[in-house]
Amino acid sequence: MDRAVQETDYDAFSCKVSAIAKHYLPRQVSGKEKEEGEFVQLHMAYAQGLKSVSRRAYSKVDRAVQSAQPVMNYGTYLRSVAIDEAIACFLKEHVKSGAEAPVQVVNLGCGSDLRMTQMLSQVPHLKWLDLDFKESVALKSRILENNPLFQRELGPSESVETAGYLTNRYCLTSCDLNDIAQVAEILKKFTTQDCPTLVLSECVLCYMKSAESKALINCIESFYKMGTWISYDPIGGDDSADKFGKIMQTNLRESRHLEMPTLMVYNSPEKYAQRFNTAPHSTSIVTMWQYYVQSVPDEEKMRLKTLQFLDEIEELEIILSHYILAEASWR
Amino acid sequence: MEIDSDVPMQDATEETLDPTLDEDALSKAQEGPGSSGIADHKASKPLQLDSGNIGQLDQWIEHLGKCQVLSEDDVSRLCKMAVDVLQFEENVQPVNVPVTICGDVHGQFHDLIELFKIGGPCPDTNYLFMGDYVDRGYYSVETVSYLVAMKVRYPKRITILRGNHESRQITQVYGFYDECLRKYGSANVWKMFTDLFDYFPITALVDNKVFCLHGGLSPMIETIDQVRELNRIQEVPHEGPMCDLLWSDPDDRGGWGISPRGAGFTFGQDISEQFNHTNDLSLIARAHQLVMEGYAWSHQQSVVTIFSAPNYCYRCGNQAAIMEMDENHNRQFLQYDPSMRPGEPTVSRKTPDYFL
Repeated sequence: MDRAVQETDYDAFSCKVSAIAKHYLPRQVSGKEKEEGEFVQLHMAYAQGLKSVSRRAYSKVDRAVQSAQPVMNYGTYLRSVAIDEAIACFLKEHVKSGAEAPVQVVNLGCGSDLRMTQMLSQVPHLKWLDLDFKESVALKSRILENNPLFQRELGPSESVETAGYLTNRYCLTSCDLNDIAQVAEILKKFTTQDCPTLVLSECVLCYMKSAESKALINCIESFYKMGTWISYDPIGGDDSADKFGKIMQTNLRESRHLEMPTLMVYNSPEKYAQRFNTAPHSTSIVTMWQYYVQSVPDEEKMRLKTLQFLDEIEELEIILSHYILAEASWR
Repeated sequence: MEIDSDVPMQDATEETLDPTLDEDALSKAQEGPGSSGIADHKASKPLQLDSGNIGQLDQWIEHLGKCQVLSEDDVSRLCKMAVDVLQFEENVQPVNVPVTICGDVHGQFHDLIELFKIGGPCPDTNYLFMGDYVDRGYYSVETVSYLVAMKVRYPKRITILRGNHESRQITQVYGFYDECLRKYGSANVWKMFTDLFDYFPITALVDNKVFCLHGGLSPMIETIDQVRELNRIQEVPHEGPMCDLLWSDPDDRGGWGISPRGAGFTFGQDISEQFNHTNDLSLIARAHQLVMEGYAWSHQQSVVTIFSAPNYCYRCGNQAAIMEMDENHNRQFLQYDPSMRPGEPTVSRKTPDYFL
């Protein structure tokens, strides 16, 4: 099961590479051309690194990229952009220009996510903690260490341990999220309790059992004095005629031995939002379909439309209605 | 009539993936329409069935019925025969009642077999399929081979229209091209079928009363006679009446609107009612859109959408439906769920895509 979960990182990464190859990502914002160029460069460098470190992982990614269809590219674009926007929103609130107020990000189940690279160079007082399975951390740290681009952006790793990456602002280390004592220890070691903290979980809670995910949420929310949790996950759907979630569970179980224990428990945006124990007025949640309809600017919608034929709007709506982005804040 | 301008649709021809990932990228060689040679020696009159080719077709149908692909040579023979059936059909192919009208199948072969169980075996039941046989599902080759073989074997019993996926461009994005390459090791079979698609009729008219097509109406088409005047033997164009017939959707908003699909238009109830009135029709039957119950009425029963791929893409959870029309034009919808796909090993099955 751990391995099945760990391998979902290749799906996430290949989706991202595909969306980049087809020019969905990066989102185009005028005046941000430099950052957009870096974004592409970093991901391509990482894909190259993956090739030299693990042919097996690379070929999985390569195959997936070859066959990625427009609905997947749309969904990946939305997932990526929605999370980026939520992070930007948090930083805008907590990073006061000129002041030396530090902020930190804890990325749970970070996988191959490369957000830390650009964020750390853009936000001077930011610290970033990347946590994942031992194997994922080993893979990622090797790729980061072997590539001069990441070396330059992140600074050389001081890590004396074999697996992991450590600078004075960035830490990549292995952590079993089901082991609360270990989580608490790592948070204590690498982060500060009274610093505004952004917790990121991108398709992470969905693979955990209900009790474990609850314990993780409680542990983190009680550890940091103030924080915002940004979580992207699938939801099963709560309409009795809606079979999407059940089919998803069966498909993933049969073909990948992958379980999503709470997909049908926190099956609606409302139920998912309640996981975070936060006050209703500081908890918001949108489905990715709502995000697409309400938050993607018209010019971006027009741009996306020219990239590939998106044949099936109805299918896109069904899929995107079963993925959510939650933002829950506490202090 | 007001038509909003739209972003120009780029060629959907696969561009090169990122160079770093492009080493083994397939070179989707474009030798252009007709390069398969299946239409090089067209007959001057429709294919005559005799005991020889009937035996051959029955053998192919039996083989395909087991979800096994034909050899490349046999596909070539089949497509040549099919050209000599389809080239003589009309842009508006006349169809008699009783007939069972079906929507998108999309390579879900086992569900197509289920459809024939629900609707009754062909040729005992007459069938009209409204396009989209290929792409998305994992058995596009078997599905389209089977339907084409049935068409050649029972030309008066089954009608197969062209859908927007029966095109060179779309099949390169949505799976049929890759499937052909995987199953045959080359693009030859893909070239044969896509060359054949150019000959598929684009609409049908059931007893002069029910107009059947894949997508919907076009602002450039007011009468059915105007459809008859089109030159359909070509790749589906990016715009214009033939494109619209295969791409458009009915919409709650009146008039013509921009299609979110990037091709075709949306049309309102006023448009449908006017078209039905002008052409003395009782109904427009079309496919093209996923509807959760398998069928859906719109425009106060001027238009019906029929979708015949249950649990679309193995993940959407929708029912499928077909519409029976009897001699008296009574309509009945038959809904069905996915077949169990017996004998298909779940282990080797590709997972439908999810965000993980």
